[in-house]
Amino acid sequence: MYPRWLWPAFALPGVVWLLILFVLPFYAVVGVAFGSVDPILLTAVPAWNPAQWNFGWVTQVLTELQPGGIYWDVFVRTLEYVLLSLAGCVLIGYPVAYYISRHASRTKSLLLILLVLPFWISYLMRMLAWINLLSPGGYAERFLSATHINDLLFHLGVVSDPNNYLGGESFTVIIALIYGYIPYFILPLYASLDRIDRSHLEAARDLGASPWRAFLHVTLPLSRTGLLGGAVLIVLPMFGDYYTPNIVSGAPTTSMIGNQIDLYFHGGPQPTIGAAITILLSLFLVLLMGYYMWTIHRASRDLPA
Amino acid sequence: MSQAVATGRTTTQEFSTWRRLRGWVGNPWGKPRFLVVITWTYIVWSIAPVLVAIQFSFNDSRSLTVWHGFTTKWYTSTSPAINSVFHDPGLRGALQQSMKLAFLDVVIATPIGVLLALGLARWRGRGSGGANFLMLFPLVTPEIVMGVSLLLLFSHLLTVVPFGTPAQVLGHVTFSISYVVVIVRGRLFSIGRSYEEAAADLGAAPAVALYRVLFPLLLPAIVASAAIVFAISIDDFVISQWLSNGANTTTVPMTIYNATRATPQPSTDGIATVIMVITLAAVIGGVLVFRFFTRGEGGRGSAIDDVAGFGI
Amino acid sequence: MHPKERRLGATRRDFLMRSGGAALALSGAGSFLAACSNSTTTGGGATSGGNPNANNPLGLPLARPNVPVTIPLYEQPIASGMKPETGGDFTIFNYPDYIDPAVMKAFGKKYGVTVKVTPFDDINSGITKLASGTVQPDVTEMTPDNIARVVAAKLIKPLNLDYIPNLQKNVWPSLVDPFYDKGSHYSVPYTVYTTGILYRTDFVKEDIPSLTPNPWDIFWQAQAYKGKTALLSEVRETIAMALLHRGDKDINTEDPAKINQAVKDLQELYNICNVKVGDLQYSTVAERKAYLNQAWSGDAISGYLFYADKESKQALRFWNPGNGNGPIQNDMWSICSTTKKPVLAHLWLNWILDNTQGYNNFLNYNGYQPPLTEVDPGQLVKKGILPETLSDTVLTAADLGPTSLQEMTLTTQGQQLWQNGYSQFLSGA
Repeated sequence: MYPRWLWPAFALPGVVWLLILFVLPFYAVVGVAFGSVDPILLTAVPAWNPAQWNFGWVTQVLTELQPGGIYWDVFVRTLEYVLLSLAGCVLIGYPVAYYISRHASRTKSLLLILLVLPFWISYLMRMLAWINLLSPGGYAERFLSATHINDLLFHLGVVSDPNNYLGGESFTVIIALIYGYIPYFILPLYASLDRIDRSHLEAARDLGASPWRAFLHVTLPLSRTGLLGGAVLIVLPMFGDYYTPNIVSGAPTTSMIGNQIDLYFHGGPQPTIGAAITILLSLFLVLLMGYYMWTIHRASRDLPA
Repeated sequence: MSQAVATGRTTTQEFSTWRRLRGWVGNPWGKPRFLVVITWTYIVWSIAPVLVAIQFSFNDSRSLTVWHGFTTKWYTSTSPAINSVFHDPGLRGALQQSMKLAFLDVVIATPIGVLLALGLARWRGRGSGGANFLMLFPLVTPEIVMGVSLLLLFSHLLTVVPFGTPAQVLGHVTFSISYVVVIVRGRLFSIGRSYEEAAADLGAAPAVALYRVLFPLLLPAIVASAAIVFAISIDDFVISQWLSNGANTTTVPMTIYNATRATPQPSTDGIATVIMVITLAAVIGGVLVFRFFTRGEGGRGSAIDDVAGFGI
Repeated sequence: MHPKERRLGATRRDFLMRSGGAALALSGAGSFLAACSNSTTTGGGATSGGNPNANNPLGLPLARPNVPVTIPLYEQPIASGMKPETGGDFTIFNYPDYIDPAVMKAFGKKYGVTVKVTPFDDINSGITKLASGTVQPDVTEMTPDNIARVVAAKLIKPLNLDYIPNLQKNVWPSLVDPFYDKGSHYSVPYTVYTTGILYRTDFVKEDIPSLTPNPWDIFWQAQAYKGKTALLSEVRETIAMALLHRGDKDINTEDPAKINQAVKDLQELYNICNVKVGDLQYSTVAERKAYLNQAWSGDAISGYLFYADKESKQALRFWNPGNGNGPIQNDMWSICSTTKKPVLAHLWLNWILDNTQGYNNFLNYNGYQPPLTEVDPGQLVKKGILPETLSDTVLTAADLGPTSLQEMTLTTQGQQLWQNGYSQFLSGA
């Protein structure tokens, strides 16, 4: 009923926008990463033509990305933070999303609103709130001291100082990352759990599966897309985080790869290195994204839901 | 647990706790007390700190940890010694800049996103797959990557775009479009094509079917996505910072970031509170409009589900 | 290196590079630049050693306190005895909040113009904007390590000192005729500050100034202040401090071995005190977020004047390393080539060196002192503005001179070396 050109025409402005302001910028990064630096103004002089590319900067970054190099250590730390935060999000987020999707029939609306609420509150405000709480004398700091949880954390080796959570602790950074990103993880997970048809579970139970087995073999696989989707939504952005460690720690011992990018774009003669790190990080994330797409593709083939 | 130890019923208690725990996790129809505890703990954990921050924006002292009584001076004082939210030029300027960016973002990103959603949902020709794929990436690209790439774009290729508000708006729209697409496309799939086909059968021209039938049906999703664009624009820190042009284009999240790295004051909590109230008002407004338009459609079409549904 | 940036908080962005701007600047920079414009840096990092004979973009030696440099005039300054232009706007290019609005207002009132500030995040992005022509201010903030390349790109104009009598009259002799711009051809000084140790006696027990052999060593003995110790997050300052800790006063070195050693020393601080980095010491020390800091003298003063509570005011101390032992820097004002009000621009430079204006700007607003003879630590203490315990934060003419240490221009390779060293420190491994 509609003319054939209509839908591509509708898509055109958005596609053009994304090509110019999302795809083309990557070419600008590539140009800078393979370019040179003006000796007087210390500005990047991009090389747009691949024939004139200078591979020095990328090579330098790759060298430092090998074990023992500067970026290797930062990258490993970033990876640790991201994985631990993801684990935290799963451990906290899965039971919560599961409960709300399955059980809380009467209070479901209320719970959903409360679940979505942090999503609408600025990330920076939520970080600010934690800073207030964890400062010496803050409510959380006093609570942890009064309950001696701080001593427990200290003796477990989780924190190096039981009374100074903002003194450059990896623990604090990871907790802050979990706190900051978990809303983006829980919502898609909840959506996928909520979509699971109860009859699948009933069938499993009728066929004699124990509750555990029913959970492991029915619920968990059916929520896999939600789990993966939520994981992708938080893991990829977390790899580029630099402000969270800056806010809750500020120590080099908790810096992430984003802090290195930030450094090279804040003055000095090597914006080219910042661009080179950005390129390599993006490539790594594209690989992760590709893996995710492949898994989703396979899942949709195996489980026609 | 410690009480159980004291009364000497440790083993049976532990045993039955373990069994019950297994039962709660495993049996979706059992009484899930374990899950209740986790869920409510999570919700308190996620929201209480924000409530405390709001509380201390009314603290009659510069302290953010010790309560000294109620005051509104951090919002309204005109004293130069107090950098109140509504009178300190820096904070007021940040508030204005955030609102300006969010408004422009909504006005530009929503129509582009709606059209793109329609196009992507129904265009089956060459390039549609690529466009669908492309649209997903802004959702997961780390902000620093986008910030760097836009910075370099405006520095070396699109040098006509000045840093400050113009660059910031372009950046915000770029990461907002995909959110609009995901929400509107979800709605498009749920309404299907039958209404339009019926209209066409009754002799409506394509333009009429589009404008009189499809548009009203899409309106709730459009409103919802506008609310979301508003919220993510207000929330954005990284893109605004990388594309800013000094103090004149500082946004509220940038202000909070700077204050947090130095020493936040009650007025920092105050400006965060103001921006939160504005965002929530916009979102609640959006949800109400959504509900109004989708009344009588049954449970599935809630705004929350649409929001939750953007897990790719 | 640039304490003004603290005013913006931590959102410095050194990099707003526009290739168009670079081209413009280069084409305007004259034939003596032709050689430089071809030899762009081509990556791979800095491996070569220091180059004592290195030249700046003008082909002159790199200026050092003991290697004074006269920057030649590329055109004649304006003639003497002209009347100032009136009416319209007068635009100041500066760090945000780095000058008292009252000082600007008074200037505007006196000469019948509207004074406006166009802010930049940091000096590098400011220079880039000047080069690209996206801003056309009348006067600009400048720093000694950048002045040669800014003149090379013809972004600032030569001065006619007849319009600036306050320079001779009020300013420390060492800055009337400074080593980086002999004869004050292109600049007059604005503020001066040294890098030292800012700490709180209610937490830090050591008597830092009397530590031997070197008070900088306190950072390597700061186990008790773990998580409460901070260094400046500045490539030059941080590494220079580690050099000074070893007694090496060559803070403009381009010797990779020295930089490597300094970075290794800094990395020891992870375990000793889990050291933090930041530029907001004036605030964090006043609010007890950090007890022991590498900091600028201006931070000590503004922390005391504008941020500290009663208890903190008593506890704050600043160790000034003194002439030849710690980095000392100054800022400047210059006239932009884009000005349409050159006479008035000269009068602004004179205005800022006026005793009353300079004094008010320092104590009412900025916290960073002007190098005016009028500003005397003894007087400030006597008037009760600063306590005896902080009199050390105020510098005098004796702090400058051929033996003073100043972080000055490095070759591009040298800058790469320093930045990569800092990157290693920041990696935290």
